[in-house]
Amino acid sequence: MSDIAASAPLPRRTVGTRRALRVLRRQPLGVAAGLVIVLLVVAAALAPVIAPFDPTAQNRADFLQVPGGAYLMGTDDLGRDIFSRVLHGARTSLLVAVCTLAVGGALGVAIGVVSGYFAGGWVDTLLQRVMDTLMAIPGIVLLLFVAALLGPSIRNTVIALSLLVVPSFNRVARGEMLRIREELYVESARAAGCSTWRILRRHGLPNLLAPILVVTSLMFAIVIIAESALSFLGIGTPPPTPSWGAMLSDGSRYMEIAPWMVVFPGGALTVAVLAFNLLGDALRDVFDPKQSR
Amino acid sequence: MLEYVVRRGLYGVLVVALVTVFVFLTLRLIPGDVVRLQLADAPGVGPEQIAQRAAQLGLDQPLLTQLGRFVADAVTGDFGTSFQSGEPVTALIAERLPTTLQLGVMALLVSVVLGVPLGLLSAVRQNSWLDQGLRAVSVAGLSIPNFWLGLLLVTYLALWFSWSPPLVYRTPAEDLGSNLVHMALPAIALGVTGMAAIARMLRSSMLEVLRSPFIRTVRAKGAPERTVLLTHAVRNSLVPVFSLIGLQVGHILGGTVILESIFAIPGMGMLIFESVQLRDYPVVLGCVVVYGAVFILVNLVVDVLYGVIDPRIRYA
Repeated sequence: MSDIAASAPLPRRTVGTRRALRVLRRQPLGVAAGLVIVLLVVAAALAPVIAPFDPTAQNRADFLQVPGGAYLMGTDDLGRDIFSRVLHGARTSLLVAVCTLAVGGALGVAIGVVSGYFAGGWVDTLLQRVMDTLMAIPGIVLLLFVAALLGPSIRNTVIALSLLVVPSFNRVARGEMLRIREELYVESARAAGCSTWRILRRHGLPNLLAPILVVTSLMFAIVIIAESALSFLGIGTPPPTPSWGAMLSDGSRYMEIAPWMVVFPGGALTVAVLAFNLLGDALRDVFDPKQSR
Repeated sequence: MLEYVVRRGLYGVLVVALVTVFVFLTLRLIPGDVVRLQLADAPGVGPEQIAQRAAQLGLDQPLLTQLGRFVADAVTGDFGTSFQSGEPVTALIAERLPTTLQLGVMALLVSVVLGVPLGLLSAVRQNSWLDQGLRAVSVAGLSIPNFWLGLLLVTYLALWFSWSPPLVYRTPAEDLGSNLVHMALPAIALGVTGMAAIARMLRSSMLEVLRSPFIRTVRAKGAPERTVLLTHAVRNSLVPVFSLIGLQVGHILGGTVILESIFAIPGMGMLIFESVQLRDYPVVLGCVVVYGAVFILVNLVVDVLYGVIDPRIRYA
């Protein structure tokens, strides 16, 4: 840490820390949401350790057991422990969401950045027409036909969901890039002879980070719902891998005698979605105080 | 104005055309041979029968020829015939579309009729307990997956009130009462997201309007609070909410697919869901194009009306 470049950001970091503390005080809901998400991630990561039962082990003698006792959330029609399945379902949900946002987010941001920098050119026109096409098809319909034709698997679910999120990332990245490319620092970089690639990478992307972070959080919510919707329709995560959507679908057949089969996985799903929505709102308030309500 | 409508209309047509090409190519490029799928189980099927059936369906032609033929027919309203039933796709969709539109309109009504008063109440009583409560309801409403809400409504209405929706779907023409009762729960489940979104947006836009100088002027001239709110504030704060409706239509259209399957409503959603699983390409293609066209049309109408209700908007 002896060279100047490494020591320069130090004072900024302390300002950042102070700012972070202020944010924590002003955004109690956002902080709570963040904690729920951390909890969710821990539960998903440690699911094999925490879960009292094997999520796929069928114990036919104990089918449709009421919540309580050995089975915290009851058992399903095949005698599988719902608590263990909800924990492992979190794993599936988060895995799919992270992969989707990595693939779809990267693609959407790349398209948006390039499109925004060359706005008005033929590359921009071409890319934006493709985005308009994807956006014109209602989400579930797009997912339905791509996922169903590819066949149910986690990989195919990620492919279909990525198509769903690409336009949203594109829209935000392109809009921001339109603004950034007019900034003085971009002009100076261009005047200094930086290549387009370097300008996009060193000046474009870092300044995009905040809005992208906000969209990412909100998209997490959308992707988690969409994955469950696909699994609910039977074209997402294939059984026996536990997923909240598939559990809801199983439960819907026993609703009146075993409502817990529907209540717990749906509750977990809602809590996860709520947490990501609240976190996204809080991030937006922090990064864009003008828009805060 | 007219020029704007025409230009937007033409652009809408272009996007529908792009959707058609995109779906057409995706359907053909994704593995899964429909002919083999249809004939595989039948006894005594050889390569000749497969080739014959493919020729019959026009699947032996080059991709671009198939696309060209499809587009040429589609502009005349002919989307081909179903691989499964042999019925014309246009007839199948015409039969199902009104049901889905009815469900969508009912869901949109739920969103607006509940969302607008909730948002206004929240804004007028800013930071009160009522406001906090309503805001919590909004965030929750935005986060509850509509299919889970649908399932919970059915389950608990049955468990607590021994009430279940009718088992068999009836069209409005057959039995309007039964039809509306059947559609009520899915419409509520679908509309809650929109309700929450509208309430949230209306609250913030109403607060902004209430802070603006012209409201101060209205108050200064001694207008009663009722007039300030109902005549001046509400009308102006509804403008941005209106633009939200175009977006909500997309959510609602997508949501109909899953709620139709839960509530056994024979609309477009059921049609596309079944067709996708049977790889009935012409029906899938027709459905996606119609979904896209409806979505684009609604957004066009919303954008045009937006300028009508707020003349400050300039059509660039």
